[in-house]
Amino acid sequence: MDYFDVVVIGGGGTGAATAYDLSLRGLSVLLVERGELTSGTTGRHHGQLHSGARYALGDAHIAQECMAETRILRRIASDSIEYNQGLFLAIDDEGEALTADFISACREADIPAMEIPVQRALELERRINPKTKRAVLVPDGTIDAYRLAMRFFASAAARGAVVRNFTEVIDIETSQGEVQGVRVHQLRTGTDLRYACRAVVNAAGPWADKVAALAGQDVPVTPAAGTMVAVEGRLTNMVVSRLRRPGDGDIIVPQRRLSIIGSTQRKVSDPDGLRPLPEEISFLLSSADELIPDFSKQPFRSAWTAARPLAGRSNEEGREISRDILVIDHGKTGQLKGFFTILGGKATTLRIMGELVSDQVAQYLGNDEPCRTALFDLYPYDYYWRLS
Amino acid sequence: MKQSLRIKRGTDEDTLYYVYEVDLPSGSSVLDALEFIRTGTAPDLMYRHSCHHGSCGTCAVRINGKEVLACLTKLEDFAGTVPTIEPLAAFKHDKDLVVEPGSLFRRLPKDAIKIRISEWIGGEINRDPAGEANQARPGGIEHFVRFEDCIECGACISACPVTRQSWAEESLTASPFMGPAVLAAIHRESINNSERRQEMLELAKLPNGVAACEKHFDCSRVCPRMVAPGKHIEQLRKEIL
Repeated sequence: MDYFDVVVIGGGGTGAATAYDLSLRGLSVLLVERGELTSGTTGRHHGQLHSGARYALGDAHIAQECMAETRILRRIASDSIEYNQGLFLAIDDEGEALTADFISACREADIPAMEIPVQRALELERRINPKTKRAVLVPDGTIDAYRLAMRFFASAAARGAVVRNFTEVIDIETSQGEVQGVRVHQLRTGTDLRYACRAVVNAAGPWADKVAALAGQDVPVTPAAGTMVAVEGRLTNMVVSRLRRPGDGDIIVPQRRLSIIGSTQRKVSDPDGLRPLPEEISFLLSSADELIPDFSKQPFRSAWTAARPLAGRSNEEGREISRDILVIDHGKTGQLKGFFTILGGKATTLRIMGELVSDQVAQYLGNDEPCRTALFDLYPYDYYWRLS
Repeated sequence: MKQSLRIKRGTDEDTLYYVYEVDLPSGSSVLDALEFIRTGTAPDLMYRHSCHHGSCGTCAVRINGKEVLACLTKLEDFAGTVPTIEPLAAFKHDKDLVVEPGSLFRRLPKDAIKIRISEWIGGEINRDPAGEANQARPGGIEHFVRFEDCIECGACISACPVTRQSWAEESLTASPFMGPAVLAAIHRESINNSERRQEMLELAKLPNGVAACEKHFDCSRVCPRMVAPGKHIEQLRKEIL
């Protein structure tokens, strides 16, 4: 039976960053994903590189974390980012009144937000609402979340990590309160395999509770469905957000030759097979028109729904639950040594999520190497296939 | 809305066509249908997908023989018929609708720039019609950037009669036609990176480069992202004369 120091479950951005981080610390890593890599939450991205400005008024910690990660990603993955910055537009009285607080909250979180004259904003982006009352420039950008995650996979594979797609974990084997290995089902062959390991990282996102249940563990996760709509045409170069308290339908992200409005949020019980509701699509298109008039007149391209992995349980509407990152060491809760869960976060924070959980896994395994993922350029994504 | 789909399943050695019925709201895509089938009657159905909005390039398949992105293809286009869904041709088949995409990625120009200066700077083959208002560059901004158009979905490789034959016989042919996506990438790199222009043109001059293109232009016809590989090949042809 093959042995790995750590088995990472979940082939999204978080799993990819975790596999890379652990590999850089000299640990042997196997990552398994039941479908294609990034076919869950990571792929169905809005594509915003968050400077953190959106969170500045509500959660200074998340805002700071986003800004720090934006700086790191620009260094290690520069050509995975359309770094054209972002505009926050106040288009009503509420937004206008909030502008001063918004800017000081951004500065508080180390985000260099700067108010610019509305005339200048209209010069930069001609299609934005001409009735804009105030405009703030922030260091947002666009990421291709699929290719960014593939760069972490490529970098992990280059350091020796083994990545297996279409491989579903069906059992987590334990003995005397410690992780011993995993049993997986390979879709390609229809056969099962066992791998021995000393630690398991549950990076299954909104499916984390189902994976934890295989080890008899409880993980508090609330899948929240978020819908996005893409239209043809690159209407702006900069990310355009509505300046107000974070709500639904207030961010437009350009990417290649398309523009994406997002998002909505509703709690769901099952993260599988999510589809947009017709009312979500019409709500998003009309919200987009307020930021960029005639957005909805562009040819419709696609609507899709992602399951966000919110950490925690709530009976409230999804957006009330924090987007904060949560690491659970199931050994410290006295339940199962060697089993770790990483939850929450967002595409922008994939690297730090990998770092936070890897710190704990490495410590558990007696490995005292530090995190080095912020130091090196990531491999280009095509190296994932060139190296295999 | 009920719709039946005929899906090629299994491996090259063991192929069977299955018919599945899905029941989805109008406006759903073929990818939504595949998700419906996988989360329902066929949990072992293998297909590639990620972004669901035509920017990752993983979900290219052939429907009734034509290359499309499953996520951008509406189910109602096939109302009243039973479309046949198959994996891309030319690529090595894995299982069900999955092909091994590495044969494209390994041929792309190594370490090419993945980001470009926005359209109005030049080198554009198909201008973005929505970008008319953006053609003028705002004062004080050197340039905006954006990702390359090609999403490496492989549709053109599967549609090109030359690659379709020569990639499939890869073990027999020493150096098969590079293929439309690869030549388009070579041309883009020659524009994006002036230092590598000569190197890129040398690649295009190879016997399995531009010279091996037979000008069928199926590549441009199936390209879901307006890359128009055929035009890139024609431009390269002029530049290497």
